[in-house]
Amino acid sequence: MFRPRTNLTDPVNFSFEGRRLTASRGDTIAAALLGSGVFIFRESAVSGIPRGPFCMIGNCYECFVQVGAMGVVQACLTEITEGMQISKVSNSIDESEMGIKEISKR
Amino acid sequence: MTTQLPLCDVAVIGAGPAGLTAACELAEGGRDVVVLDEQAAPGGQIYKGVEKVFADRPQDIRFLGGEYAGGERLMHRFRQSGAKYRPGVSVWQITSDQEPELGLGLIENGSAQMLYPKHVILATGAMERPTPFEGWTLPGVMTVGAAQSLLKSSRLLPEDDVVLAGTGPLLYLYAAQLASFGIRPQAILDTRPSMSLRAVLLGVSALAACPKSMLKGMKWLWSVRVKMNMVRGVHSLKAQGEDHLRSVSYEVRGYRHKLSTSLLLVHDGVVPNTWLSMSAGIRHHFDSAQSCWVPDIHGAGSTSRKCISIIGDGARIGGASVAAMQGERVACEVDTYLRTQHCSTVATQSRALRRQRRLRRFLDCAFSPTADFQLPADETIVCRCEEVTAREIRQVAARGCMGPNQGKAFTRCGMGPCMGRKCALTVSQVMANAHGVPVDQIGHYRIRSPIRPITVGQFADMALVPGQDKKAS
Ligand code: FES
Repeated sequence: MFRPRTNLTDPVNFSFEGRRLTASRGDTIAAALLGSGVFIFRESAVSGIPRGPFCMIGNCYECFVQVGAMGVVQACLTEITEGMQISKVSNSIDESEMGIKEISKR
Repeated sequence: MTTQLPLCDVAVIGAGPAGLTAACELAEGGRDVVVLDEQAAPGGQIYKGVEKVFADRPQDIRFLGGEYAGGERLMHRFRQSGAKYRPGVSVWQITSDQEPELGLGLIENGSAQMLYPKHVILATGAMERPTPFEGWTLPGVMTVGAAQSLLKSSRLLPEDDVVLAGTGPLLYLYAAQLASFGIRPQAILDTRPSMSLRAVLLGVSALAACPKSMLKGMKWLWSVRVKMNMVRGVHSLKAQGEDHLRSVSYEVRGYRHKLSTSLLLVHDGVVPNTWLSMSAGIRHHFDSAQSCWVPDIHGAGSTSRKCISIIGDGARIGGASVAAMQGERVACEVDTYLRTQHCSTVATQSRALRRQRRLRRFLDCAFSPTADFQLPADETIVCRCEEVTAREIRQVAARGCMGPNQGKAFTRCGMGPCMGRKCALTVSQVMANAHGVPVDQIGHYRIRSPIRPITVGQFADMALVPGQDKKAS
């Protein structure tokens, strides 16, 4: 995949599925994970097949991850911060949490 | 208690060359300008992370190319201009023209808010054209643009087993950048057919009009061709693997070949990102030269709603220099609008703009979209979110479904979180092809706000109507 980066100048510690990892300050969550060799971010809501980031500009919504108290975020648009606890989004994303349906009915 | 309404003269959405130039021009002229950017730092996709690269790793600048380095001047001008910059802001709504006030629905730091500008400039740029093929949903398959963005903002470089596939200037630029970082991809699977006579003629005209850009482009292409393993005439691309990408296969002249890899980067050119402009009710049409939907534009950036202008690649793919020129030109239009409430469109086109036009005509023709991706094979997933295949789209078309909106009801195609961004173009094209009619006649998904996911909680907490700010009263 991507080459692991060595001697990060300004490292940030975080975890993914309980694994401790390190990224560079200013990385997005997606860059932090890809740089650590993680590229399966979630399971698809329809068939449960694994998915990972695709576009990196906030358009494809493939990069959803669960972040501690923040909830489900787009990993390619959210900056990594010290101590972030990240986990995979399982295929049971609650649609009311996303809220798209409710509002588009207005 | 009275509340301070969030007002401004002009809100610019997007911080690439178009948005930033327009913001600078207007702010330097004394206008109160706010730039809303989804990203964390200004620059858009082309100058992504340029300030950080200059500050933290200047040694990388020369590998990323002269055009990228040029972005730093614009960032400097922008920082001095007096325009307000709000990073990390998603715009999920532009109020419709039925509503009394022009308003923008924003999400900033997880909370929803409104902003009431007198005028909006959309500079939302481009997105990569959808490239559906078998296996493109596997983790490990990404776009070239995604990989380039990771290189600029986080210095992530692919392993040598990386395979690039597709066509378009960005693909060759990225390959040339990899070469300068000392990385030689396993293969570049070029899907571009050989150049037509028309493309050659347009190329000559483009060379006369923009010799510098043309020579630079030819240099990339040349360096990629001699230094790298470039395979021409590729079609029927497939990505294989169980839980993530393991191999890529493709056909050349009737023979299938296979490569093991963990990273496949695809690209097939870019198209305007029109989700905001469509949700705002602005008129659009299908541009057959660029095979994509574009807003109807007159003058520098005027649209069918006089309080909204559109510039840059979001108006029509033109590249960074055209975007900057449009930014300058639109500023006069917007300024007149703010003074008189009337549109006065800038009619004259500068010579530089006309020259760029000739370059674009060549690029559109020489790097036309890949046929395989435009009309994918039956078993290919078209809608990544709802996992709807091309076969299902063709079936509903055969049963008499005449458009993508009706198709949604039968297949859920386009109803996932991406709201059709990765399938709209394909669905319209597949349906048009099935019915044997032009894409314009089939139409596009109806795009409605919110165009970004927003939770019910965020929505409920927001001050909706001017003067009724719940939190402040
Ligand atoms: S990778 Fe596409 S939205 Fe994040």
